[in-house]
Amino acid sequence: MQFHEDPRVIVWWQTKMGGMLRWLTPFRRRAILAVGGLWVCIRESLESFGPADVPVPADRLGPLLVVVALLGMTWLFYRAATEFSRLPQFVRKHPQLSLHSVYWAFLVVLWTSTPDSGLWRQVLFGVAAMFPFLLWRFGYLLLSGQHGRMSGTRFSDHFLTIWPIYGGSNAPYGKGFGYLSRFEAKNEEELARSQLAGIKLFILSNLLLVAMKVLEGVFYGPGNALTKMIGGYTLGIPTVGYLISIEGKNTAIWISWISIYCELVYQVLRHAVRGHLVIAVLRIFGFNVFRNTYKPLLAESIVDFWNRYYYYFKEIMANFFFLPTFTQLGRTLRNWPTLRLFAAVFAAAFIGNSYYHLIKFSDVMVQGQVFEGLYALRSRIFYCFLLALGIFVSMLREQRRGGCPPPQGQANRLLRIAGVWTFFALIYIWNVGVGAPFTSRLSFFLSLFGIA
Amino acid sequence: MSADRPQRLQDLIAFLRTIQKPTKRIENVGVDDSLFASGLVDSLAIIQIVLYLETTYGIDFAASGMDPERLGTMTSILDLIEETRR
Repeated sequence: MQFHEDPRVIVWWQTKMGGMLRWLTPFRRRAILAVGGLWVCIRESLESFGPADVPVPADRLGPLLVVVALLGMTWLFYRAATEFSRLPQFVRKHPQLSLHSVYWAFLVVLWTSTPDSGLWRQVLFGVAAMFPFLLWRFGYLLLSGQHGRMSGTRFSDHFLTIWPIYGGSNAPYGKGFGYLSRFEAKNEEELARSQLAGIKLFILSNLLLVAMKVLEGVFYGPGNALTKMIGGYTLGIPTVGYLISIEGKNTAIWISWISIYCELVYQVLRHAVRGHLVIAVLRIFGFNVFRNTYKPLLAESIVDFWNRYYYYFKEIMANFFFLPTFTQLGRTLRNWPTLRLFAAVFAAAFIGNSYYHLIKFSDVMVQGQVFEGLYALRSRIFYCFLLALGIFVSMLREQRRGGCPPPQGQANRLLRIAGVWTFFALIYIWNVGVGAPFTSRLSFFLSLFGIA
Repeated sequence: MSADRPQRLQDLIAFLRTIQKPTKRIENVGVDDSLFASGLVDSLAIIQIVLYLETTYGIDFAASGMDPERLGTMTSILDLIEETRR
């Protein structure tokens, strides 16, 4: 049993924090997050004016209008989810497609209008630049409406997940309010338990941050303040990014292999540090949700690693691409289950994953440079292809095992874990940075096997 | 509640045993416990449950839509089966 699950610790926390726990009712906790959300909306909107070459409003009125437009849009999507049964039939049948059509319609208007169209176009630039951040959040909102889970919820309840003060990326950590509410503490004892779990995660996040800094200093160098405390020793392992740039030339093969494994560990630590902080805040506010990263380096299959590495991103892919594709193909591919699985996995891990990263290039998208964006992402798209292939094979193997445990024993387990590490370390070659040419990545990959 | 429900529950448990994760056991999961939170299945393995319901009970998810939450507990799965058979 971990410390946050120990009944004595929970009782101690309840005794020490009794007043605070009583005051922090679910209503107040949500209200605090919702007010914070308003600040996030304003801050994020202003930050969307970052790209210097995007003609966004420079005066005070323009940003204010963008904030108002974004708040209005949030309200409209909330109303659409609340009144889901009264929406047009096409929207009810394809809510996600309709949502993404709105985004693309904004883009088309921007691309086809002239730069001197006036303030409305500048405001639309700001809104469209922010839309990728909102897309998946609105998606979860509509999903709640589609599944009839909007009753009894307020606008502010959903607002706190759409503009999350607890952080996150374009991928909404903790998904939408429909999901969060299932994990919400209903009484003081549950809140104490959730807060202790949050504190544990906060501590863990900081410990992993230290581990990350040690790894940076000890493995990569040059030394940092932390490594100086342990004598300043550094192994000087080159980063994968550097090895790609020199295509693995003049580097011992074993050093290149160590480098790709280090990169994998580093990426896992980076995700865990950030994700743990976000989930820690959610838990402290009484939403005792799953971690974003949960021991992926101990995963014994590719699909399990993907599930544990970046959980809330994987949930986007599962909820908006994988499951819809799999169920919709139920009639046509009922007699071809392997093909059906293949289509669903590729819809998520390849198409959905690539699409997610394409629209993340906000400044590129609003300026109509979709093909330039795709070209810049070519290595990432190849990474998505390899990832999809790996997940498909992994799922197929799990299915065919039919619940039977894999070969037992520590050696077998270590072998499986090593296989997962190797797969992700290798495909990550196509996911490091965006600047390196595809051919350099391929040359480095081949150099790992002694092929010059 | 349908008279067939206990039998369907037994069938469902037998099926879930075939997809459970090696480190988890269906015997440790209550009928109202979340299959996801218990770690027995994840949102990708849920397709196994979809396939089971399609082939065993003829449920057409393409027509009815798929709500993963409805497949979240054994009770909710049994409720779904009963709803579609009415």
